[in-house]
Amino acid sequence: MNNKSVCLLDYGSGNVKSVYNILEFLGYNVKISNSREDIKNSTHIILPGVGAFGASMKKIMDTIPFDVLENEVLDKGKPFLGICVGMQVLADKGLEFGEHKGFGWIPGIVDKIDTKGLSTLHIGWNDINVRRDTPLLKGLNDNKDFYFVHSYVFDVQDKNCIVAQTEYGSKFTSILSKDNILGIQFHPEKSQKAGQLIFKNFMENL
Amino acid sequence: MRKMNYCKKCVYPFATVNLNVDDDGVCSACKSSESFSELDPGFWEHREKKFKKLISRYLKNNESNYDCLIPVSGGKDSFYQTHLMAKEYGLKPLLMTYHGNNFLPEGDFNRELMRHSFDADHIVWGPSVEVLKKLNRLTFKMMGDMNWQNHCGIATSPIQIAVKFKIPLIIWGETNWDISGMYDPDDFVEFSARVRHEHDLRGYEWYDMIKHEGLREKDMLWAKYPSDEDILDVGVRGLYIGNFFQWDPNRQTKLVQEKYGWKAAEKPFERTYRTMSNLDDRYENGIHDLMKFVKFGYGRASDHASKDIRTGYMTREEGIEMVKKYDAVVSSDLYYWLEYVGMSEDEFWNIADTFRDPRIWWIENNEWYKNNIWGGSSSYGPVHLSEKQIEDFNKRQQNLHK
Amino acid sequence: MKKNRLIPVLLLKDGWLVQSKGFSKYQNLGNPVTAVKRLSEWASDELIYLDISSGDNYDTRRDDQGYENRGSFLDIIEDVSKVTFMPITVGGKIRTLSDIEKRLSVGADKVSINTMAINDHNFIQEAAKQFGSQCIVVSMDAKIVDNEHRVFANGGKDMTKFTPKELSKIVEDYGAGEILINSIDRDGKGNGYDIELINQVADNVNIPVIACGGVGDWEDFADAFEETSADAVAAANIFHYRDQSVFLAKKFLYDFKFNVRKPDLIKL
Repeated sequence: MNNKSVCLLDYGSGNVKSVYNILEFLGYNVKISNSREDIKNSTHIILPGVGAFGASMKKIMDTIPFDVLENEVLDKGKPFLGICVGMQVLADKGLEFGEHKGFGWIPGIVDKIDTKGLSTLHIGWNDINVRRDTPLLKGLNDNKDFYFVHSYVFDVQDKNCIVAQTEYGSKFTSILSKDNILGIQFHPEKSQKAGQLIFKNFMENL
Repeated sequence: MRKMNYCKKCVYPFATVNLNVDDDGVCSACKSSESFSELDPGFWEHREKKFKKLISRYLKNNESNYDCLIPVSGGKDSFYQTHLMAKEYGLKPLLMTYHGNNFLPEGDFNRELMRHSFDADHIVWGPSVEVLKKLNRLTFKMMGDMNWQNHCGIATSPIQIAVKFKIPLIIWGETNWDISGMYDPDDFVEFSARVRHEHDLRGYEWYDMIKHEGLREKDMLWAKYPSDEDILDVGVRGLYIGNFFQWDPNRQTKLVQEKYGWKAAEKPFERTYRTMSNLDDRYENGIHDLMKFVKFGYGRASDHASKDIRTGYMTREEGIEMVKKYDAVVSSDLYYWLEYVGMSEDEFWNIADTFRDPRIWWIENNEWYKNNIWGGSSSYGPVHLSEKQIEDFNKRQQNLHK
Repeated sequence: MKKNRLIPVLLLKDGWLVQSKGFSKYQNLGNPVTAVKRLSEWASDELIYLDISSGDNYDTRRDDQGYENRGSFLDIIEDVSKVTFMPITVGGKIRTLSDIEKRLSVGADKVSINTMAINDHNFIQEAAKQFGSQCIVVSMDAKIVDNEHRVFANGGKDMTKFTPKELSKIVEDYGAGEILINSIDRDGKGNGYDIELINQVADNVNIPVIACGGVGDWEDFADAFEETSADAVAAANIFHYRDQSVFLAKKFLYDFKFNVRKPDLIKL
């Protein structure tokens, strides 16, 4: 635990502090920073997020040195976790309030959930259906409920990247994984015990 | 100088612990008590029925274990609770006493008398006196209360015993929030860890104590509150008799004196006019309560007078006389305590004065002043603080009025 | 499947955690942070914190306790969010977008707007645009006047021209993410929810509705789920009357096969 450190990226999205608090509570070395040094020197990177795709992408590009980030994650294989919008921006593009370009790290498109008549805002605790083994879910037993709050979802092109799905009107990807890149649609920092397990697994098993 | 407002009906100052005063100038304790007293006999019948229904489920499923656990000190309340459960309801209780080593001789007598008076078993759990002395000193310095061990023991050890003996029903006595009006009769509040932690223990737990005076975890085993899991396993619940039966300490005292030979204090207390309270702890009405006065400017006499005003045993004018006579008295148990823990009087006052509340007290001519309920203000003794401490006090006072 | 939520509401008045009865009688319970810790240990689904203070003076008048006497509402929220890892909604005295931003920055996930939502519908829209609809809960307090439910502003003091049905549709159109509907008549009485009131709102909008006001027993939660389409049930006073209250409430609902999370205990 002592040699691990998290660089928690901050582009002005609302929940940075919550993620910071839970990591600190779990005893990890965590720094809220966008600096090139911290991105390079940390062992893990987390991109949180709340809000719209387009607005978030703009803020990310304005405040985070994307070239360094891409280098560390894609070239050097540093463990990366994207939460909520932080997962969605990994896509090729997002269709919320117009068409916006994403990172393009995981092929696919972010579009509105087909809620089949339910409220368009998916808010509350919902469970995940695990399709593939992943070190992120190690030790997760009965309580598979996590806290979701979003209206858009990531339609992942490569089905092998889909670790878990959740149903709300229709099925969507709640956890994706490609090598060292992980994306979670729900908010583990708001999901009590189960969420703590996710963070612990991310830090310990990746 | 500083305005200290008082409730219009009783003698509580607005600064009273946990009190809320609405715009009409009547405090929450009076209001709570009013709602309790506006009740007709039918009301209490209905509540007793509710009590019977509540406990019947537990009694039905119990063949061979104790029917309930009653935390007792041997005081008038303990006797009354046990009388109700053992005699009137015919239950076989396990009585449990936390012994903080502060019993008055009459308190010892009454405690011992319990299993002679009732068909009940009685466990007494007393921590080592060496540990108790350490805690007396430590908590006095930490929070201005040498009696923390007593509050903690009473609110913790019975629940531990209930869990250990698998007794789901704990029968407490008086609903003690009617002293501030925190709850209403219809809330049917039960014992909770939150109230224990926040109000009985002031937010401190056993693990805060072991960092000092060489105290270890094995010295504090009596102070560890059981986990939610353990409590839910047995289904332990703490019910307050005061929610279901009309509480009248004066009437109850008479009953237990006549029926069981319960003894009141032989010497009157110095800080209050009542003689039947707190025989299990000589400091509760003495220096523990003196510390309340030092902090907040009111004492036990205010508590007792306010209660007696609300139940019609005293007028407000008589109550004010009690406050005048008793609230500021420095009782002689101070010297008993200083010898018990090995502290000098100077050191005592040095520590005590650090707890004076700048909302109530101010310093004039190196003396402590506060407002009085009978009008005006007076001095209540010299200030035992260093220059720096006085400066800090005055600074805090200024910050309050920003 | 998405679960229904059980949400404790904590009322803060002048620094104290309080009980509220009929929007007029308040009883001091103690320090808010201690209560939040317990509610978190019992795995509440969310928490709603409402600031119903009269002024800006937060003071529990105790400086001799084992936790700080925090001097401002935002400080309290900051402390709260350090010990809870679940969604927190914060409401009360929100008048500007900056007010919202301040609360989100100290750890709130959502904010609840009441009086502003009634007086200036555009405010809802602006807030939703800047922070996202999911951050904006509109709370409405209603009372029966002349046999009709009416929305009241200003902590239940000022009657408005709106019925809950009308106002809920308006706020939905303006971008509210959820609606919290509270009954002033039922507040603190322990006689159950105003089912008719909840239905008026829940049947009229497509966004999640949180029911509040009047819970006296676990059965009342069940009634709300059975007789209305509320997405979540909330209560304030009752969770402070018994230990492990939230756990027991959830267990009651779970054992009776309601669509709620399995009851759980968390060590904090």
